[in-house]
Parts: sequence; C-alpha cells; structure tokens
Amino acid sequence: MRAFFVGTTVALLGVGLALALWASPPDAYQGEYVRIMYVHVPSAVAAYAAAAVACASGALYLWRRQPRFDSVTLAGAELAALFSGLTLLTGMLWGKPVWGVWWAWDARLVSTAVLFLLYLGALLVRGLAEDPDRGRRLCAAVAVLAFLDVPLVHYSVVWFRTLHQGPSVGPEGVKIAPALLVPLVVNVAAYLALLSLLLVERTRLAQAEAGR
Amino acid sequence: MTAWRRVQAVARKDLLVEWRGRDALLPAGSFGLAVLLVLGLVTGGGAEAAAAVLWVSVLLAAVLVVGRSTEREGEEGTLETLLLYPGSREDLFWGKWGALAALVAVLAAGLWCGQVLLFNASPRGWAGLGLVVVLAAAGLGAVGTLLAALLHHVRAGRLLLPLLFLPTTLPVLLAGIRLTEAASRGAPPGPWLGVLVVFDGLFLLVGPVLYEVVVEG
Repeated sequence: MRAFFVGTTVALLGVGLALALWASPPDAYQGEYVRIMYVHVPSAVAAYAAAAVACASGALYLWRRQPRFDSVTLAGAELAALFSGLTLLTGMLWGKPVWGVWWAWDARLVSTAVLFLLYLGALLVRGLAEDPDRGRRLCAAVAVLAFLDVPLVHYSVVWFRTLHQGPSVGPEGVKIAPALLVPLVVNVAAYLALLSLLLVERTRLAQAEAGR
Repeated sequence: MTAWRRVQAVARKDLLVEWRGRDALLPAGSFGLAVLLVLGLVTGGGAEAAAAVLWVSVLLAAVLVVGRSTEREGEEGTLETLLLYPGSREDLFWGKWGALAALVAVLAAGLWCGQVLLFNASPRGWAGLGLVVVLAAAGLGAVGTLLAALLHHVRAGRLLLPLLFLPTTLPVLLAGIRLTEAASRGAPPGPWLGVLVVFDGLFLLVGPVLYEVVVEG
C-alpha cells in the first residue's frame, strides 16, 4: 500500500513537472515565468490544506488528548510552515520579473506570510515549552488559533489594499486557458498527494520518536 | 461565590496590582509615546499617516502590557495560585480579559490624545473613535489574555509574544487605522466595524475554551 502511495505521488509529480515544463505554452503577458505558477499555486493549496489538518487534529487533541492527534498536529504545522514558505519564495521569484518587485503589500502575500509566521510560532512554542506535554497542548492551541485568524487577516488586507489578481478558478467560472489549466490541476493534485505522503510519514516518525 | 463575582474579583485584583505597581501602563504608555514621536518624525507628521502611526504605537505598546502581565504571573506565581481556587477557569479568562482590555483602552485613549497634540490632528469624531478604542481593546485583550497564559511556561516566552501577537492582531490594526481615518473625516465606517466585531466575537468565543486547556498544569 505504501509503495503504491509513493509510486502514485512520484508519478503525479513527474507528469506535473513534464506538463509544466513542456506541455504548457508560455503566457501571453508573463512569458516563460508562468511556469513558476505550477509550483507556486500548488504549494499555496498544500499550505492551506496542511493548516486545515493541523487545526482539525489540534482541536481533536485538545478535546480527546489522544497522542496520535498530537503527531498529526505536529506534522500538519511543520508542513504548513514548509509549504507557506515555499509559496512565499516562489511568489517572490515570480513577482520580480512580472510585477517588477520581490514583494508587494497584497492580501495573499501578507496572509501567507502571517500563516508562515503563526505556524513557525506554533513550532517554536512546542519546542521551547518547559514541559513536553504542555508544549503539545500549546502547539495544538496555536494551530487552531492560526487557522481561524488567517481568513480574517486575508479579508482585512483585501479591503485595505490588494494587487494580486483574483482567483482564476472560482464560483464565477474558469478564467484560465485549458492549456494552462490542465497542468495546473495535475500539479495541484501532485502536491496534495505529496502533502498526504509527507503527513503520513512525518506522523509515523513523530510516533516513533515519542515511542508510541 | 458566583461566576460573576469571581470574574469581578480577578479583574479587580489585576487592576489593583497595576494601580499599586504602575509597572505596565506607565512604561508601555511612555514607549507608545516614543513610537509616536519616532514614527511621526520619519513620516513627516502628516495627517495622512496620523491614524497608522497611532495604531502601530497602540499595538506595540499593547505587546508590552501583555508581556508585563506574563512576566508578573511568572515572578509571583499568581496564576498557579489562582488555578487552585474553586470555580471555572473560564471565569479567570473573563476576569483577566476585563482587566487587560481596560488597560489597553486607557493606553489607546492616552496615545490618541498624544497623536492629536503631536500631529495637530482634529479631535473630530471622538465619540466614534471611542467605540473603535473599546472594540479594539476588547479584541487585543482577548488575544493578549490567551497568549499571556499560553507563553507562561515557555522559555523565551517574551520573545515569542510579539511573533504571535502582531500577526494575529493584524485585522485590529488595519480596522483601527481605517475607522480612525473615517471618524476624523466624518465618513461612514464601511466594512471595518464589521471586521472588528467579527474579530472580537471570534476570539471572545474561542479564547475562553483555549484558555482552559493552556492553563492546565
């Protein structure tokens, strides 16, 4: 089962990479830089999915106090920090040639940075707590708090000022050409598979570390 | 003892300790004033930056007030003693929230007076601004109370406090700025009053629940 899971993830990542590099045409305005989108958008989706997992498992840990929920919370928080960091990095690499700046005071950039900082905070609180059991509880509490706060941060920054383009796929329909949409969807699926694989593996590792 | 009496007793205790020691509001207020001066100087003291400078100084000074609250609990071990008393821990949250929100409201009101003087700002719309200060203090107090308890037994907790407090309270900062600008122009508040109300509602709903689990021994 594990081999099938790993194989599927690697295959999806390979197909996604091939579609992003060769099958996708360059964008009319962004040129070849559009290929960064195939890492950037899937990373952002994976970051928010990891944050949702950390929040749900954190809430379950605080409620039921079962160690397996703590392991999932730790894995979710680490992956939320990792993928939000990757989202920021790829966004900056794309922003410099396309927007002309590394950073812009835009809602999505700021809310992703806030997500990154809060999950970094959750991991620091866990590591620096005087008692490991307290650290587990505090990490779970920050994971819940962070996930509830980020949508509020996002909408308040949207109203304050925004530069980022609107969503290409949403309730108002699809505003992206099929030639770009297919590689994007495959890459999002690949990154979600990678996230699931990393979540499972990190949870196992956390349980092994704790001797569970 | 009823829950309300417990809440009152905890809030009164915290305010009394502050009144006798004056070791949170006075240094934090002075620091806020220093931030007002420095930011006023570097931004040129123009009216367009006045609201932003005010709320940045309020937020940074509020971090100090929350930090002092964490420190005081650690130095004197009062939180552990309070936890030994019978009654719900939610009452502790509400009492501490009441005291902290009151301190932050006084701090914000004081810094607003400083901003009016330093930026030659018009004190127009002070009634609307009063509501903004109360709502912002309620939200900052809720996050501060929770984080003060959360970082109580964490090494380098005072260093982690700004890392968690500033990003979490970003909506309060943005809403405070836009509502202050609107109040001083006599303009409608737009969606910002809603942002503050939702923020307060969320953290006052989740705060007591999370507080109970973070203060456990």
